Amino acid sequence: MTFQSKPQKTKLAQLSLLLASACMSLTAWSQDAPQDGVYKDRIDWGVLMDMSGPTSASQGVWVNGFRDYMRRVNEGGGVFGRKINVLAEDNRFNAATDKIAFEKLVTQTPVIAISGMGASVSQVALAPTIKAGKVPIVGTYTTTKALSEPVTPMVYNGFCGYKSMAQAGVGYHVDTLKLKAPKVVTLAIETAGGKEYHDYVAEAVAKFGGTATHLTVKVTAVDVTPQILEIMNLKPDLITIYGVSNTAILTMKALAQYGLNIPTFGITYLGAPQMFQSMGAQAAANYKFISCFTPGGVDQTAGNKAMSAYADSIGRGDMKQDINYVAGWVTGQMAAEALTKLGKNPTRARLIESMSKGFTVNSQGLAAPFTYTASNNTGPVVFKLFGFDFAANKFKSYGDFADYEKYTR
Amino acid sequence: MFEQVFFSGLALGSIYGLVALGFAVIFKATDVFNFAQGMFVVCGAYLAVTAISILQLPFPLAIVFIVGAAALLGVLIHMALIQPLLGRPMLSVIMLTIALSIALRALIEMIFGPQGRSLTTPMPTGVLMLGSVRISYLHLTAALVSWACMAGFGLFFRFTSVGLLMRASADSHEAAVVSGVNVNTMNRLAWAIGSTLAAVGGLFLGQLQIASTELEGIGLLALPAVVIGGMQSIPGAIVGGLLVGIIEQMASTYISPKSSDIVIYVLLLLILMVRPWGLFGQKELGRV
Repeated sequence: MTFQSKPQKTKLAQLSLLLASACMSLTAWSQDAPQDGVYKDRIDWGVLMDMSGPTSASQGVWVNGFRDYMRRVNEGGGVFGRKINVLAEDNRFNAATDKIAFEKLVTQTPVIAISGMGASVSQVALAPTIKAGKVPIVGTYTTTKALSEPVTPMVYNGFCGYKSMAQAGVGYHVDTLKLKAPKVVTLAIETAGGKEYHDYVAEAVAKFGGTATHLTVKVTAVDVTPQILEIMNLKPDLITIYGVSNTAILTMKALAQYGLNIPTFGITYLGAPQMFQSMGAQAAANYKFISCFTPGGVDQTAGNKAMSAYADSIGRGDMKQDINYVAGWVTGQMAAEALTKLGKNPTRARLIESMSKGFTVNSQGLAAPFTYTASNNTGPVVFKLFGFDFAANKFKSYGDFADYEKYTR
Repeated sequence: MFEQVFFSGLALGSIYGLVALGFAVIFKATDVFNFAQGMFVVCGAYLAVTAISILQLPFPLAIVFIVGAAALLGVLIHMALIQPLLGRPMLSVIMLTIALSIALRALIEMIFGPQGRSLTTPMPTGVLMLGSVRISYLHLTAALVSWACMAGFGLFFRFTSVGLLMRASADSHEAAVVSGVNVNTMNRLAWAIGSTLAAVGGLFLGQLQIASTELEGIGLLALPAVVIGGMQSIPGAIVGGLLVGIIEQMASTYISPKSSDIVIYVLLLLILMVRPWGLFGQKELGRV
């Protein structure tokens, strides 16, 4: 039998008292935390994106764009005196981590809404939970059928949709290259989004009487020789790429290595200046990317000038040309405007009700204005193609947004 | 098509062999299964970005910078993290290398940001035609430099007194200590060599693609290479790297891209079951 000495008993009692006080404080604090993420001096807004992992190169930049827009809003006094506090959770390209992070933003550190939803796999996994829940998703980074269809007041897509990317990209090339029954290859990483994108490409190509072939490549591929050899066998008129930065870089370099001058366009996520610089002028000569957003510095619209000036002022000048940064910025604008409409008493329920009535996002040139309605949550639908001018060290556009509208009507 | 795929696999396998050699040197000298070897590859790529794009050093000086910095990194890691754990259970050391890998990744992303960095060097671009086979000059340079490094270190271990001392320390720490060899110095040298070899691999991979933390995944392909070749075998690591490169390309071409992982790791499992000391390793015999 063990006897405790008097000093030991005292220590034990002190420890118990300390623990009990801590528990009570924690309970009291948690009861003070509003369930909607709205406080006297701030509003918590959640972001779920891959800030590490194979997609972090693009998604991390998007987060910077979103945060910078909110920073600008806060510098101007916030929304009716409340600062917008961005709580960004790193999904690490892992569906299990997505679920944990999502639950955290819904209950633990509650937010009024969430933006981003980085990877297609996480959208598919969380779609039923989101649609049945209370936290709206305002401005997704990627679009999947699972989350977008059928239309729900809980979800608003905030990036260029795969369907529209495929339609505009294929349509433009068929017209400019005057292709008859085009043969198109979709080179995609092995994800749900890649398969979905190819399906849209095949649908778009079929309208012109052509065929589309799906080739896959690993996310962590070091070399694409097998895929290029297959492309040499297929002899396509056009290639479209879905993947991460390395997918496009390796593909274009390999195509140049094999002397294949096949027009190629990448999805919007593959629009970073570093990618073109890594490809080099020769390999990048045949490469464009399709986008519903305009890179910083490409034109002198009010929205582009404002974003570029602010990015330069806070030392993010190197990011303003990255389409992911622009997309994050525009989504930030969408979120801030949605909050402003609610006035001094924002809540999740009021936010959902307000957005469900429909609204238009006018980024003053960073994208064509896009409208959400009760039956349409697609987001930006007007696209154009961009290439890179190595001499001027900036992007150049091929035509105007209006030239491409016919492809996505 | 077969010749094209084979040469492509050889070029890639040379880089894997280089990284695997670094891994084997560290393991042979210090018995540490270094899960941070992939991040050493990433460090090499970012050291190249620092030297060439940020500091804008002339290329030869940039190489000196990269090699020196990578070697210093290896030495510091051994002194600060590995040496204090001498004699501890292997699991502790393995966990440390995993933690080191995670910490290095986070540090790099904090310093350089999440987006990849392009790396432009004066290394030759363009394509060489050998019959119907197209080989990019960059791949060829990577393969030749890898082979030169492997040959150089092979000669170092075989014909120099320091190399002999390193081999002696690796074979028996106790005997080396008794003979007056400074085993800690030899171990630090092994870590310096291991990290330098990985960094050279990172330089080429960063140029072939883009310098990003995703190069770690490629660096980790050195692990099956070294197990297949033989954990304690220097030639085995090189051959293992070449095999992994060729298998990866062949499987991607003739089966599917995803199948290459299956084929490589099934081979790894078979080797572990049938010949756990690897193709070129030596079976350990114990006297009772």
